[in-house]
Amino acid sequence: MFTICFREFKDLFKSIRSIIIILTIFGVTLGVAKLISQFGGPVKSLGLGSNAYAGGLLTLLLIAGPLFVTSLSHNIINQELHSRTIRFLATKTSRDKIVLGKFLGIILFWVICLFIALLLVIPFSKAFYFLEFIQAVIFISYFVGLTILISTLITKPSITMFLGIAIALAMPVLGIWSMVSENIFLKITSHITPYFYYTQETTSYTYLVVLFPLIFLALSLLIMRKKEL
Amino acid sequence: MYAIEANNLSKKYGEKVVVNNLNLRVREGSIFGFLGKNGAGKSTFINMITGLISPTSGSFKLFGDSKYSNKDIYTKIGVLPDYSTFYEHLTALEHLKYFSKILGLSLTKDEMINILRLVELEDSANLKAGKFSFGMKKRLGIAQALINNPRILFLDEPTSGVDANAALNIHSLIKNIAKQGTTIFLTSHNLDEVEKLCDDIAIMDQGVIKIQGSMEELRNEYNNSITLYVKHSKVLEEQKKWLEKNLLSLAKSLKVGYTNTELILDNEETIASVNKLFLSKDINVYRLEVDEPSLEEIFININVGKHTA
Repeated sequence: MFTICFREFKDLFKSIRSIIIILTIFGVTLGVAKLISQFGGPVKSLGLGSNAYAGGLLTLLLIAGPLFVTSLSHNIINQELHSRTIRFLATKTSRDKIVLGKFLGIILFWVICLFIALLLVIPFSKAFYFLEFIQAVIFISYFVGLTILISTLITKPSITMFLGIAIALAMPVLGIWSMVSENIFLKITSHITPYFYYTQETTSYTYLVVLFPLIFLALSLLIMRKKEL
Repeated sequence: MYAIEANNLSKKYGEKVVVNNLNLRVREGSIFGFLGKNGAGKSTFINMITGLISPTSGSFKLFGDSKYSNKDIYTKIGVLPDYSTFYEHLTALEHLKYFSKILGLSLTKDEMINILRLVELEDSANLKAGKFSFGMKKRLGIAQALINNPRILFLDEPTSGVDANAALNIHSLIKNIAKQGTTIFLTSHNLDEVEKLCDDIAIMDQGVIKIQGSMEELRNEYNNSITLYVKHSKVLEEQKKWLEKNLLSLAKSLKVGYTNTELILDNEETIASVNKLFLSKDINVYRLEVDEPSLEEIFININVGKHTA
């Protein structure tokens, strides 16, 4: 499991993508922080953090996080199925370990990227925002879990790429819209997006989001166990 | 103990039965050849045994253990799937390192190079798999199946797409691996290859095993006739008639010529009697050639329904 995890992490991290993501998080966090510092009150009321830098990071992730995750990892499982390299893995270890290894590999990639980006922000913020870092990782793990589930369900990488981007664009819109809408359907649906939990006054709500990737992962494991390779 | 025991193993896709109540025993340490036309169910059988697909019904055991009750089964089997694609950005060496770590093995670089040497890929150890030819990928597939020194090696069409020299080397590799006690389960379209390499053979057609046994047993079950070609000194017309008359009691059919005679015999024991008969008439026998039914003949005949197992 850990071999697959580290391979996944290495494949993601050694490419130019990791540098782009770290620089984007770093740059946008600083940029948004400047804006937030000018409109601190309203932003704080939206639950985007008590600090301008942390708010900048969370704003970026809430809006672009899903797109980052799905564009990088939409084919995490189905590429192996499509190219049939999964046959080499599945005859050497259990399917559970393959799925869990890949999940942990993507999570590790994001933990490192967010950690480095927040380290780079320290000279400006004069602090490391550990709590926001944990919240950011939890938020990202929601979409990592969802991406794994979609990639396990749908065999064609081209379809998951399209679907992943569609979900990544629709989810923030749906999440934010549901906060201001009185539509009952939207209100109910908002509970299955992480945005509902990230916009509550009590920050402990955000930890409930951990349940979602666990559910997505459990479903992925069930599907994977029955899959014909 | 059997390396593989399949009991009433079946696989259905909707109404289509791909493998139908298959019973199979593979002796530990043997090279087992699994033959059949495309779509006969060979790969489906291997995929069930190696855990890539689930059987619809029936069960199987590997070395006496049900596959799913024995978690260390992965260390006992090596698999070359019928379709070998690799991670294009990884080199041959990186592939072996990755796969061996997944298996929990810690092979040294030298050990991995030695495995690549076995399949003649040591010079391409640091070449990315994306640049490999089809034949090289096939050989890398065999190499990755060998990293855990498996007790049973599943090879699905190991020589398809490789050149003649490489195929010969793979044959000698298979023999060497078998000598070390590894059971080899081989599927192939190359009947000569199976005939040359395998101790036991099963021929599958439309999801069922039509015939199974050693080459000798297959010949006996299919057709115990052998063809004997005799090259002899020139015979006179009188000798020829005498031969025709006396050989008829030994042969099923015969064609006596002045210098060559062809006989269809029931078994090999009759050859000595034939030889004696020639010598009793002072006819010198220069050469005796025996032609047994090849696996190809057996295969063709079984598949056109001339044989009922």
